[in-house]
Amino acid sequence: MTKQHAPLPHVKVKALTWTPHLPPVEVEEATPAQLEAMKVTPSAKKVSPYVRTLAHDPESYVARTELFNAIMYVEEGLPRADRELGALAASLLNGCQYCANVHARQHIRMTKSSSTIAALCFDRPDALSARDAAIIDFANALTTTPPSANKSHMDSLFNVGMSEMEIVDLVHAIAIFGWANRLMHPLGHSQV
Amino acid sequence: MPHNRPDVIDRAAGLLEDGSLFALRAVRPEFLNGAETCRASVLTPADDLGLEPELRNAIARRISLGSANADLIAEYPLPQAGDLRAMATGEMPSDPKLSTIANHTDTIAKSPHEASAAHLEALLHAGLTIPQVIALSELTAFAAFQIRVVHGLALLKEYQ
Repeated sequence: MTKQHAPLPHVKVKALTWTPHLPPVEVEEATPAQLEAMKVTPSAKKVSPYVRTLAHDPESYVARTELFNAIMYVEEGLPRADRELGALAASLLNGCQYCANVHARQHIRMTKSSSTIAALCFDRPDALSARDAAIIDFANALTTTPPSANKSHMDSLFNVGMSEMEIVDLVHAIAIFGWANRLMHPLGHSQV
Repeated sequence: MPHNRPDVIDRAAGLLEDGSLFALRAVRPEFLNGAETCRASVLTPADDLGLEPELRNAIARRISLGSANADLIAEYPLPQAGDLRAMATGEMPSDPKLSTIANHTDTIAKSPHEASAAHLEALLHAGLTIPQVIALSELTAFAAFQIRVVHGLALLKEYQ
């Protein structure tokens, strides 16, 4: 059996814990603006170390969180799983292990299958669907500095049946991880 | 409430007001308005935490040099002279604090995977407060986000 034709195993992705490098805001010592900012997330009582780290600058935290939620959770348009895949590819290239882990698990949950994640883990691009391959190639090219995405990437997205609106959604999902990865990875470390 | 258009992203991506992609962006007002609110929150925040808007502009311009998009770069006013001009044009500022900031944002913008705790220590050692480090991180990352939105939309524009 050649490597190319070996069946991919199912994969399970274990959740990671993120720990900030810098001391986060302590809820007891937070300013009114920081307290208000930290309420943006649904789980109000226990505020994560990530949120408390970014609450040092409450104004940008609130603005970015609202934009992030709009881009990742907006109704209709690009299917959620495709947004997660764009997020995952960007996170892998940007070296953000924590984000990659979270969005790999989300993708498995959305698609009820680990086949795409397994193809990425075991470096088997041949095992990807044409749609997943087009999304990943575009996400990688948009994530480089400077971005290297070109007409051939865009052609591939149209060829797998994406509409202009869906591509607008995908561009934003990849771009917002160009932002999120540059916070999560530089500001802390993750471990099992 | 929707903001005024064409906005920075429209102009830098070369979207024409009568083009279909210009209209398509308006289908997602939460993206349009969200990006504008974010821009204000990192470039001209109500509380700048001691990082003045002129410095923020120079840093964002420096990062946007990595877009290879002259229209996007031109959205940031070019400082007249001195260290802010050096910051904005990709040169190394002479002030040690500013040069530490420049080195840090260069790494995060171009090779975020290389970031480590030592980079944050260098910023604190150069005299930045923790809130300033966070604000700088958000500013750098916003500029990286905007570069990619503009690049993607500019490609898509060719199909309308």
